[in-house]
Amino acid sequence: MLGAVFFLLLWPCATFAATEIQETADAAGQASPESDAANGALTVFAAASLTVPLQKIADAYAETGGGRVALTFAASSILARQIAAGAPCDLFISADEAWMNHLLNEGLIAPENRRDLLGNALALVAPANSGADSGGQDATPLDLSPRPGLEEEIMTILGDGRIAMGDPAYVPAGIYGREALMSLGVWMNLRHRLIPAANDRLATVLVERGEAPLGIVYASDARTSRALRIVAAFPQSTHAPIIYPLGLVADSAAGRSFRDFLFSEKAAAIFTKSGFRTGEFLSGNQ
Amino acid sequence: MFGLSNMEIEAIQLSLRVALWGVAWSLPVAVGVAWLLARGRFPGKILLDGLVHLPLVLPPVAVGYVLLVMLGRQGAIGAWLFDQFHIQIAFTWRGAAIAAAVMAFPLMVRAIRLSLEAVDRKLEAAARTLGARPADVFLSVTLPLIAPGIITGVILAFARSLGEFGATITFVSNIPGQTRTLPLAIYTLIQAPGGEETAMRLVLISVVVALAALAVSEILARRAAARLEP
Repeated sequence: MLGAVFFLLLWPCATFAATEIQETADAAGQASPESDAANGALTVFAAASLTVPLQKIADAYAETGGGRVALTFAASSILARQIAAGAPCDLFISADEAWMNHLLNEGLIAPENRRDLLGNALALVAPANSGADSGGQDATPLDLSPRPGLEEEIMTILGDGRIAMGDPAYVPAGIYGREALMSLGVWMNLRHRLIPAANDRLATVLVERGEAPLGIVYASDARTSRALRIVAAFPQSTHAPIIYPLGLVADSAAGRSFRDFLFSEKAAAIFTKSGFRTGEFLSGNQ
Repeated sequence: MFGLSNMEIEAIQLSLRVALWGVAWSLPVAVGVAWLLARGRFPGKILLDGLVHLPLVLPPVAVGYVLLVMLGRQGAIGAWLFDQFHIQIAFTWRGAAIAAAVMAFPLMVRAIRLSLEAVDRKLEAAARTLGARPADVFLSVTLPLIAPGIITGVILAFARSLGEFGATITFVSNIPGQTRTLPLAIYTLIQAPGGEETAMRLVLISVVVALAALAVSEILARRAAARLEP
């Protein structure tokens, strides 16, 4: 019985796994046909939320004759710990400033080699197919300002469900989310209703699949997912600015060349398409 | 209690509860499946054998994702359970117990199956010629003979359940008091700078719990073996 259930289950999963491998193989094939380190490819460690735009940018960089870039994606915390433990890495892009500062304090990245690359925002999202049956929420978007009644409105949408977001104990998106809920005055009761996900992508998937009626995710995820509906954008004033800092770990000509490409207009267009903020937003914030 | 914080005590209690219930739910099924695999002759036996072993070879995250797709609020089984009985599995400790049970299932089946295959069928035949009904034969002859195998299976499954991480965090997330078991608590602590000390204490506690479980199994297995001596 259990076996039969498993068998049925595996069809979607097998296709899912196959596409994953395919994508990885593609990415690896484009970035580095053979061993990266041996071929002197540039090694970039980047936060998982940058997966899509950075792969496109690495391809564009190779097309312009810039050389190969080997990309490694994981949670910023894990990557930072690996760099601190001596992992071979030329360039690090973190999803939050705390881990970048940690590496600066450890003396692994020189202060002059750190720059703010991107900005992001937070959004309150719901599954795309929700709302139609719950009384025209689309017509009156939720007003996310500290006001009486906000908590009741959120609780009404939640019903007996939970709100998915990155784990506020360690996931940057969740830390920003907690800060935003605190400044809106709804954290004390909502904190018992969380699904603390291991990363921002997982929180996004839980809302996309309808497992959570609400979620707090990056605006970049919210804008690029068709399975999500943006209930409201969190005002910038409710949380610290969401900055993706970039650090040159090994100061080389190749590393600086790719860094400059990341700040180029071509890269900015790709980042913007993926929902990130670039250039003028950052300078306005500093 | 030993200067542990509430978070640590909560994680330990939850881990024990999840592992105990996971083992309790899967034991009868595992005995049945082990029986089928050891004694049964039917088409598709190899397929059943393969399916039983899937959680052992699949990445735990894949198993967790499959469980979410099936047992989540929007999943085929999960939605039905919720509509009919208002039982919610995803994001509760019950879901954590199911994830642990599924991941530990192959280990339990393997141990019980091996001991079933080692049973001297002549003993069962003798009992039957003396007039025992099949159920009596199973309860008074077969079951005592495979008791060491069941104990081994239970302990292996219990240990695997205590350590379950990938399927749990994917299926039921990391909710304090509901699904934040020992491994998830340790993971959470090492994700933030400065949590190393508490994490190390929880690692030591995990070692103690695991060693205690192994010691208990050793004692029980010896007693079961001693009872089989003439």
